Amino acid sequence: MIAALRKGALRDVVVVIVVVFGVGSIAMLLAHVSPLDGFGALFDGAFGTPEEVAETLVQATNLLFPALGIAIAFRAGLFNIGAEGQLILGGFAAGWLGAQFPLPPYLAVPMVLLAGALAGGAWGAIPGFLRARFGANEVIATLMLNVIAVLLTTYLVTGPLQQGGGGAAETAALPKAAQIPDLIALAADPHFTLAYLLTPFVVAIVLAFVLWRVLARTVFGYELRAAGEAPEAARRAGIDLGRTAFVAMALSGAIAGLGGATIVSGGLHRFNTGLSPGYGFIAIAVALVGNLDPRWIIVASIAFGMLQSGGIAMQAEAGVPREVVTLVTGLVIIALAGRRVVANRRST
Amino acid sequence: MNATLAAVLAILGLTLVKATPLIYAALGGVLSERAGVVNIGLEGILIAGAFTSVVVSGATGSPLLGALAGVLAGMLLAAILAYAATRLGVDQIVAGTGLNIAALAGAAFGLVLVYHQPGASHEVPAFGHTGEVVFIVLAFVVAAALQFVLTRTPWGLRVRACGEDPGAAESAGIDALKTRFRAVVIGGAIASLGGVYLSLAELDLYSDGMTAGRGFIALAAVIFGRWTPLGATGAALFFGFFAALQYSLQRAGVPSQLMQALPYLAALVALAGFAGRVRAPAADGIPYVRQ
Amino acid sequence: MRKRFGAVQAVDGVDLELHPGEIHALVGENGAGKSTLAAIAYGAVRADEGSVDANGVVGLVHQHFKLIDRLRVWENVLLNREPKRGWTIDVAAARERVRTLASTYGLAVDPDAVVETLPVGIKQRVELLRELDREPSVLLLDEPTAALAPSEIASFFTTIGDLAKRGTAILVVTHKLAEVIAYSQRVTVMRAGRVIASHLTSETSADAIAREMVGGEVPALAARAATTVAPLLEVRALSARSATSALANATFDVRAGEIVGVAGIEGNGQTALADALAGVVPFTGELIYEGAPLHAGDTPASRLARGIRVIPQDRRHEALVLDWNVRDNVVLGRQQSLAIARYGDAAREVIERFDVRPADPNAVVAQLSGGNQQKIVVGRTLTSAPKLVVAYQPTRGIDIGAAALVQSRLIEARNAGAGVLLISFELDEIFACADRVLVIANGTFVGSFDRASIDRGRIGALMAGHA
Repeated sequence: MIAALRKGALRDVVVVIVVVFGVGSIAMLLAHVSPLDGFGALFDGAFGTPEEVAETLVQATNLLFPALGIAIAFRAGLFNIGAEGQLILGGFAAGWLGAQFPLPPYLAVPMVLLAGALAGGAWGAIPGFLRARFGANEVIATLMLNVIAVLLTTYLVTGPLQQGGGGAAETAALPKAAQIPDLIALAADPHFTLAYLLTPFVVAIVLAFVLWRVLARTVFGYELRAAGEAPEAARRAGIDLGRTAFVAMALSGAIAGLGGATIVSGGLHRFNTGLSPGYGFIAIAVALVGNLDPRWIIVASIAFGMLQSGGIAMQAEAGVPREVVTLVTGLVIIALAGRRVVANRRST
Repeated sequence: MNATLAAVLAILGLTLVKATPLIYAALGGVLSERAGVVNIGLEGILIAGAFTSVVVSGATGSPLLGALAGVLAGMLLAAILAYAATRLGVDQIVAGTGLNIAALAGAAFGLVLVYHQPGASHEVPAFGHTGEVVFIVLAFVVAAALQFVLTRTPWGLRVRACGEDPGAAESAGIDALKTRFRAVVIGGAIASLGGVYLSLAELDLYSDGMTAGRGFIALAAVIFGRWTPLGATGAALFFGFFAALQYSLQRAGVPSQLMQALPYLAALVALAGFAGRVRAPAADGIPYVRQ
Repeated sequence: MRKRFGAVQAVDGVDLELHPGEIHALVGENGAGKSTLAAIAYGAVRADEGSVDANGVVGLVHQHFKLIDRLRVWENVLLNREPKRGWTIDVAAARERVRTLASTYGLAVDPDAVVETLPVGIKQRVELLRELDREPSVLLLDEPTAALAPSEIASFFTTIGDLAKRGTAILVVTHKLAEVIAYSQRVTVMRAGRVIASHLTSETSADAIAREMVGGEVPALAARAATTVAPLLEVRALSARSATSALANATFDVRAGEIVGVAGIEGNGQTALADALAGVVPFTGELIYEGAPLHAGDTPASRLARGIRVIPQDRRHEALVLDWNVRDNVVLGRQQSLAIARYGDAAREVIERFDVRPADPNAVVAQLSGGNQQKIVVGRTLTSAPKLVVAYQPTRGIDIGAAALVQSRLIEARNAGAGVLLISFELDEIFACADRVLVIANGTFVGSFDRASIDRGRIGALMAGHA
C-alpha cells in the first residue's frame, strides 16, 4: 500500500488541484466574478501583508489541532467525526475556567490548555467507551455528540454561565495571564522575539512531530496502528482492542479540545458560540490530504488555512461568498475518500 | 373535548410531523444499506432536497415542480456518493461526510447567489396544510412499498444479495456495482422527499441549518429498525416523539437547548443499548472491488 | 466438445480440452494456476490472451462456496433466475423447483433452510444444485472434496459419474491424488502456470503425478528424534463456541516433546478448539497448563505471555498486517516484550531460518506469495521459544516446498521440547508429523491412536461420524 500510496499520491494531488480550481472557478462564475479576480483575491488575502500571513497561520493552527486528533483516531481504525464538538467543548472549558480562576501566567496558561484537553478528551472518551464496551458505532455517536456539544455550550453561555459584558452570550474576557501569544498581534510589529515560539502554531507543529514519533516508534503507536489496519490479527497478537479504541478516541478528543483551548487563549480571549466555523469538519479534509501522517498534515493545514483566510478576503474584495471554500473542501474530502478505506472491521 | 385528550392528540400529531422527514431519510438509508452502501450523506441529501425545491418553487410558482427538482437534486447527490462508492471503491463514511459538508456549504452559497442574503430564502409557494398531510401519509405508503419490494420482488432479493455478499451475487450473474448504484440513487430520491417536506410542506422557505442533523438521526433509526423499512419507520416515530416532546416541555420551563438535544440523546442511549445485538447486512459499508 | 485456453501470467499458454462424458482431473500444487484456469473457463476472470470455446453453459462449484449465508436455500439456488408471478417472486414454484432438482440428482436439501445454519457438506450440495439448475454442458469443480468425509467422497463421485454419463464434461481441480486415480479418466498436471503433462489416468500413477507436480522429488521431512515427554497441557471436558464452530466435552493431553495431531473434516469444531486455546473465546471445562489452570476470561495476551502460541488458519485476516513490511509482521505478538532495537535482528532470524523470499525485512507482506507469508507466521511463532504451539492448518494454500519446510520446523520444535497440537484437514500431513492422532467429529473427540497403531480406514470412518 505504501507503494500504491506514492503512485496514488501524485494522482490525488492532481485531483485536488482540479477540484479546487475547477469547481471554484465555476462557483465564482456563477457569482458573476471572474476566476482570476476571485483566486487573485484569495491568494492575495492569504499572503499579502504580514498580518495576513499571520492570519493564514492562525487558521492553519486552528485546523492543525483537530486534524491531528482525527488522524490519530483514523489510524486506529475509528471514525472520529466529532472533532468539532470536542473542539468546542475544549474551548468552552478553557474560556470559562480561565475567566473564573485568575492565576499567575505560569499556572494560568497550562491550566487553560489542560482544561481544554481534558474536556475534549472526555467528549472523545464517551464514544470511545461506547465502542469499547458495547461495540457501538462511533460514527453515529460522534455525530450526535457534535450536536449535543453545541446545544450544551449554547445553553451554558446564554444561561447559567453567561459572563459576557452587556448580556453577550459568551464567557468573560480571559485575563492577560491566561493568554498565549497571538501571531496576528505579533505580526503588527514583526521583530522576532521568543513570543513567536510560544504561539499556538509552533505548539501545534511540535505536537505533530511528537505524535509522528509516537505512532512510528513506540509500542503504543505500533499497537494502535495494528488495531486500525488488521484488528483480528492485532487481537490475537495480544492487543486489547477495546482499550485501544477508548484511548485513541480520548486522545483524539483531547488534541481537538486542546485546539479549542488555543483558539480561546491565543486570539479570541473568550468563548462564544462563534468559536468555530466548522474547523472540526474541515480538519477531516486536512487529515486526508495529509494522508494521516502528522508531518504531511502540517503542510495540508497550511494549504487549507490559506483557503480559509483567503476566503474571507475573497468575499470582502471580490464579492465571492466564503462558502465556496467550504464547498470545495467537501468535494476534496469525497475525492480523497479512497485514502481511508477501512479494513474489515465491524461494529453496529 | 377534554383537555388531556386534546394535549395527547396534539403530541401525537406533532410526532407525525416531526417523524416524517426522519422516515423518508431513514427509508433511503435502509435501501442503500441493504444493498451494502452506508449513506452517511443523508443529511446532505435532505439539504439538497430542501434547498432546491424552494428555489425552483420560487422561480416557477409551483411547489410540485419544486418538489420534483428537490428529488432530482437528492438523486444527483446520491449518484455522486454511489459513484464514489461503487466505481471508485472509496471509504463510504468519509465520502458521505464530505458530501454533507459540500451540500451545506453549497446551499449557503446558493442562498447568497439566488436571494442575495445569507441565512434564509424568501418565502415561496408551498404545499400548505393539505400538502403536509399528503406527505405524511405518503411516507407510510413508501415504507410499506419498500418493505414489499425488498422482501417479495426479484429486484429486492438481488439488492439483499449484494448487501450480504456481492462476490456471491456476482457469481450468480448479478452486476453488484450497478445494483448498488441504483439502490443508493433510489434511496436518495426517497430521502430527498424528507428535505422537500421540511422546506415546502412544514414551512415555506429554506433556512441555513434547517435540517439540524436529522440525516444523522435517520441513520440511528436505520440501525434500531434492524435495517427493515417498517422497523426504521417505527424508530423514526420514536425519535419524532422526542422531538415533539420538546414543545410541551418547553412550556414547562425546561431550557430549550436541553429539549432540542432530546432526540440526539435518545439516539446515543439507544445506540449503547442496541449495539452488538443487531446484525447489519454482512457486506454493509465494505467496498466491493471486482477482481 | 473442445475447449482451448491460452493465457499469460498465472496461466502461461495453456491448452486444455474437455470431452463430454469424461471426468478430467486438473492437478498441481498450490499456486500452480489451476483455480485461475477454472475461473477463466467459467468466465469470472478474463484471460489476457487466448480463447474459451464451450458448447453450452459452463458451471463452476467454487472451493470456498459463493453462497449468501443469510438467505435461504431456494434463494441461493435460484438467485437471479427466480420464478415470477407478476411483480413478485413465486415462492411456492421456487421451492418446488429446488425439490425437483434435488431429487433428480440425488442431493437432498430443505429449500427453506437458511444457509448459514447448514453443515458444510450440505452447503456444497446447495452450491452444486445452483450450478446444475443452469443445465451446464461443462461442470468445473474446484477442490470439491475438501470439506467431505471419506464416505461422502464416494457418494459425491457417484453423483459426478452419473452426470458424466448424461453427457456433461467434468473438470475436477484437486490436489488429492488418490481420488484422481480412483475416479478420473484423464489427468492434466500444471506447474507454475504451465501444463507439464496430460495422461489417461489408466496410464499413470500417483507417484508419477506427484513428481510431475513438484518437478522433482518431494522434499523429505526432518527426522523425528527421540524425546522425553513431560506433562504440559491437560484438557478436561472443554466446551467452547467460536462463530459457527462448536466444541463439546473435549478431553485430551498434550505433552512437551510430542506432536498431537487432530484429524477431522473442516467444520467439526476445530476452530472453537483453537480459539479457546488462544484466549479469543471463553470456554467451560478445565485447561491445566504447566500444572496451573488457564481461565476462561484470560486475554490472548496472557496466553502469549505463558508461552502458548497459536498459528491461526487464516493468515491474511488473523495473523498478518498485509500492508506492513516483513519486520513489523515478525514483531507482531512480541511487541510488548521485544526491544525496538532488536526488531531487525528478529526479522533477520526468521528470514534466514525459514527461507523467506525475498530476503528483505522491508518488503511489504502483501506482495509475498502465500507460502512466504505463512513462513513468516510460522517462523515468528517458532523463534519466540514457545512451549505449546497450536498449529491450525499450518500449510494451508502453500506450495509443497514451503509446506515441507513448515512441517520440518514443527518437528524440530517438537524435538527441542515444545508440545505441538497440529490441527489439520489433510490426513497425510497428520500422518507424516504426529506422534499421536486424535479424531474430531461433530465437535467431540471420538478416537485416539498412537503412531504405531494408525489405521486409515478406521480414522476415516470416525471422521465421518461412524463409530
